[in-house]
Amino acid sequence: MIKIKELSKHYGNNEVLKEINMDFLRGKVYGIVGENGAGKTTLFRCIAGLENFSGEIISDIIPLKNHLGLLLTNPFFFSKITGKEYIRLLCNARNKKIINIDQKNIFDLPLNQYASSYSTGMKKKLAITAILLQENECFILDEPFNGVDIQSNIVLAEIILKLKELNKTVLVSSHIFSTLSDTCDEIHLLRKGEQIKSVQKGDFKLLEQEMKNFTIGNRIKKLELK
Amino acid sequence: MRDYFELQFVLTNRKIKEVGINPALGYFLGLIAFVLLSGYIFHKTEFAKYLVILPCLGFQLRLSEKSRTDFLLATFGNKSKIKIRVLENLIISFPFALILVYRSLFLEAIILLLCSITIALFDFYSNLNFTVPTPFSKIPFEFTTGFRKTFLFFPLTYALSFIAINVGNFNLGIFSMLLTFLITLSYYSKPEEVFYVWVHANTPNSFLMKKMMIATKNSTLLTIPISLGLLIFYPANYDLILLFLFIGILFLWTMILAKYSAFPSEINLPEGIIIASALSFPPLILLIIPYFYTKSIKNLRLILND
Repeated sequence: MIKIKELSKHYGNNEVLKEINMDFLRGKVYGIVGENGAGKTTLFRCIAGLENFSGEIISDIIPLKNHLGLLLTNPFFFSKITGKEYIRLLCNARNKKIINIDQKNIFDLPLNQYASSYSTGMKKKLAITAILLQENECFILDEPFNGVDIQSNIVLAEIILKLKELNKTVLVSSHIFSTLSDTCDEIHLLRKGEQIKSVQKGDFKLLEQEMKNFTIGNRIKKLELK
Repeated sequence: MRDYFELQFVLTNRKIKEVGINPALGYFLGLIAFVLLSGYIFHKTEFAKYLVILPCLGFQLRLSEKSRTDFLLATFGNKSKIKIRVLENLIISFPFALILVYRSLFLEAIILLLCSITIALFDFYSNLNFTVPTPFSKIPFEFTTGFRKTFLFFPLTYALSFIAINVGNFNLGIFSMLLTFLITLSYYSKPEEVFYVWVHANTPNSFLMKKMMIATKNSTLLTIPISLGLLIFYPANYDLILLFLFIGILFLWTMILAKYSAFPSEINLPEGIIIASALSFPPLILLIIPYFYTKSIKNLRLILND
């Protein structure tokens, strides 16, 4: 379990996260939604321990960061490192021995080619494969569906459900609501760093409608399309 | 086009400022270093003209990298792109050509300028789909990526040690060994993304030890053809060979610790001065290593959440 208590984050005078309180249980999938700049990535970075913050993050997995699979929005790859070596690097970092990488290459990536030559979607699939093979207890997936082809997105949604079945904690952010409604048990809505509401699975439709109304408003009318 | 060059000037100034010095002073120091270095190589070797021409052309080739020229093409159009590239290469080749003219190497200076213009007319792919095999694939990443970037230098250092043994020049053999260390040292000159440190399930101490162990093992492996050759042909000098091997490893450790003492920033002027002082007076390294180690541990504690 991960418990976030009164978490706030400032960049100078700019408060980007305001007193966030959230509980993430084992065997559950949580969605974090919000517009660009709402604070999703910063929240993820705070949980991972990549940012300083005020407040508290308590976890039954100690230390959390050593059991956390972190997928960044735009994963960075060194030049001249192959896909296979990238997976090895991430597994070695967690002292995990991996056997038969080729068999586990479920996205059919060209693992012997340089990762820097991969397309955006392939890079993301490589990063996902690597954190899955690290055998983590908790996963933070920041925009995992972004830039990935539709077939792989279907596989990815199934992977998330499998992780839930394996009693892992999964946090996902996405700009595609359907990907979250299919996989999540609870969705937290952030707006300008504030936790607006938390919605259980049964009320996802209402949340989607509410987000639509808020986001669209009279913007389309303003365009005066002819 | 003028805006482009003004922007390049601003970017260069910014890079100098990041090192921690005033841009004007940076240009002045750069000029002094350039003049002194060229004087030194012309004093030391008959191949000096190649050492002037090749780095210049090498740098220009990097500027002709396809993704870069594609950006110029998309932004400025073909005609202006060619003008920009020619002008860039001429600006870069100017100080090198001046050195050649000063040394009365007029033909070489003309060839350099012509080559500079020619290179500006072509684009080069730096990211070919060919994966260079490496003996360091099992434990990525510094030696894996570093070896692929510098593998062409190793036949040169090995050839140098072969020549050293052939002509009976022991010092040249030691030089080729230290040169190999210098190449591996460069693998640790740039900081990686914070994520790649964060991802390690290690304490700061075990993280550093792991890095140092890998570096020691791999660089020793790369110097084996040289050290073994020297040990076979100069058995009486085994103590000197081992001493220089040890010094090479100590400098490698210093470089790793310097990198993480400045992390996530790049190694800066203060660290550079400390390393340079160790190079001029090697015993200092015994004080420098603990100093960098302490700073590194402090830095890494924040990232590894120890």
